[in-house]
Amino acid sequence: MAHLAVSDVRAKYGTLEVLKGVTFSIGKGEIATLVGPSGSGKSTVLRALMGLTPVTGGTVEIAGERMNYSSAREVRAARDRMAIVFQQYNLFQNMTVMQNLTLAPLKIKKWDKQQVNSEARRLLGLVGLSDKADAYSDQLSGGQQQRVALARALALKPQILLLDEVTSALDPELVNEVLDAIRKLADEGMTMVIVSHEMAFVREIADKVVFMDAGQIVEAGTPKEILDTPKTERARDFFSKILRH
Amino acid sequence: MNYRFQFGVVWDNFPLLLEGALLTFQLGCFAFAGGALIGLVCATLKTYAPWPLRVLVDCYVVFITNTPALIQIYFLYFGLPELGFRWSNEACLLIGLTLNAGAYLTLILRAGFLSVRVSEIEAGQTLGMSLIQQVRYIIVPHIAKSIYPAVANFFIVILVMGTSVGALIGVDELTGQAINLSAVNYRWLEYLTVVAGMYVVLTFIASIGLALLGRWAFRVKARIF
Ligand SMILES: Nc1ncnc2c1ncn2[C@@H]1O[C@H](COP(=O)(O)OP(=O)(O)OP(=O)(O)O)[C@@H](O)[C@H]1O
Ligand SMILES: [Mg+2]
Repeated sequence: MAHLAVSDVRAKYGTLEVLKGVTFSIGKGEIATLVGPSGSGKSTVLRALMGLTPVTGGTVEIAGERMNYSSAREVRAARDRMAIVFQQYNLFQNMTVMQNLTLAPLKIKKWDKQQVNSEARRLLGLVGLSDKADAYSDQLSGGQQQRVALARALALKPQILLLDEVTSALDPELVNEVLDAIRKLADEGMTMVIVSHEMAFVREIADKVVFMDAGQIVEAGTPKEILDTPKTERARDFFSKILRH
Repeated sequence: MNYRFQFGVVWDNFPLLLEGALLTFQLGCFAFAGGALIGLVCATLKTYAPWPLRVLVDCYVVFITNTPALIQIYFLYFGLPELGFRWSNEACLLIGLTLNAGAYLTLILRAGFLSVRVSEIEAGQTLGMSLIQQVRYIIVPHIAKSIYPAVANFFIVILVMGTSVGALIGVDELTGQAINLSAVNYRWLEYLTVVAGMYVVLTFIASIGLALLGRWAFRVKARIF
């Protein structure tokens, strides 16, 4: 059974329909990657799932449970189950690394303080930043900030993790440390939807590649199928352009 | 050059100068506090209210920031009595300074509102924060930190430049007191030297207080000089 099932999801910015019926699904512990040209709606898919961009049609199910985005409470139910990491990290600038990780579990979920703290330390260890617990974000490199953002997202124990071009804003030599952290999560069996332009990484980590264009899914399949032998003209065109670089 | 400094008469009247300094400090603090309140209301209106109110705020800010404080205070003290509104000189000074501070702090706070990063708010939302939690944990700390230097500077401006306008309508704050006393003994040089020193001490104390507050509350690495 699909762990995340997105079916015919639509979303608009004002009157512009940006998602024109998006359908895909992934099983528990699987990793789907969204690829496609700029402006095709990849970020919007993740934002819609998190209730940041209003969903105007279609359905989303997580572990068989129907998510509705029609009230603040229902949006929160979706946010309970998923977490997102953005391209620009979006850490809370006025807080330390540790505070970034523990704010939501402590103040919003009201979880037990000792458990939250020890879980936060475990996560910092996982992303290789145990020594940075008391640093502020402006004292960290981009790669370090992005790993903190990853740990912050995990601190709420999401069932599904959404990653939106988490390495695009980084200097090349910092990309790998973030990808390594994602690899570890994959090994732990985290279910993820990843938007990425790093095709080598996509090929290595994805169970499923979803190719989007103009707000629709054009093709979906295994990395081999989509990257090596795309069936549609649009996908062939896209991959020939980016793989040439 | 055979001027002989005689500070004796200044020390004799030092308690009067201290009184003036205290009044200066009080006027600065009250005008600043009142101005902060006005600024908060106006900046909020400017950000969220319908356009007639926004235009009203704009008029207030433009009118105040584009005219000298002295004119505003003369208007209150010499102008309004012609229309039947008569207040004491201290009241006129305080009202004028407060309105003045309100306009400048509206500008500063408004810039702070605009500087809140939407992306940080979205991060908060996706972590499940309610609107109130976003205001408390993200918006207020961010605004406080980003406007802190401008606000701290402005407090010094009000304290030193703003209040001294009072001398021209006979308020016995530090400058007024210095002028009064100098005019009696003709010891201008001595009085003005001592009073300048007192202003420096006053702003020094205020700066230290503000820097400590900034470091403690907003993690701003404020310098005292
Ligand atoms: N806040 C917004 N307001 C209006 N239109 C928007 C907004 N954000 C995105 N769009 C539009 O929605 C469409 C999809 O954007 P989206 O960000 O999802 O694309 P993307 O596939 O993530 O692109 P990229 O690879 O450049 O990140 C684009 O046409 C974009 O112009
Ligand atoms: Mg995008």
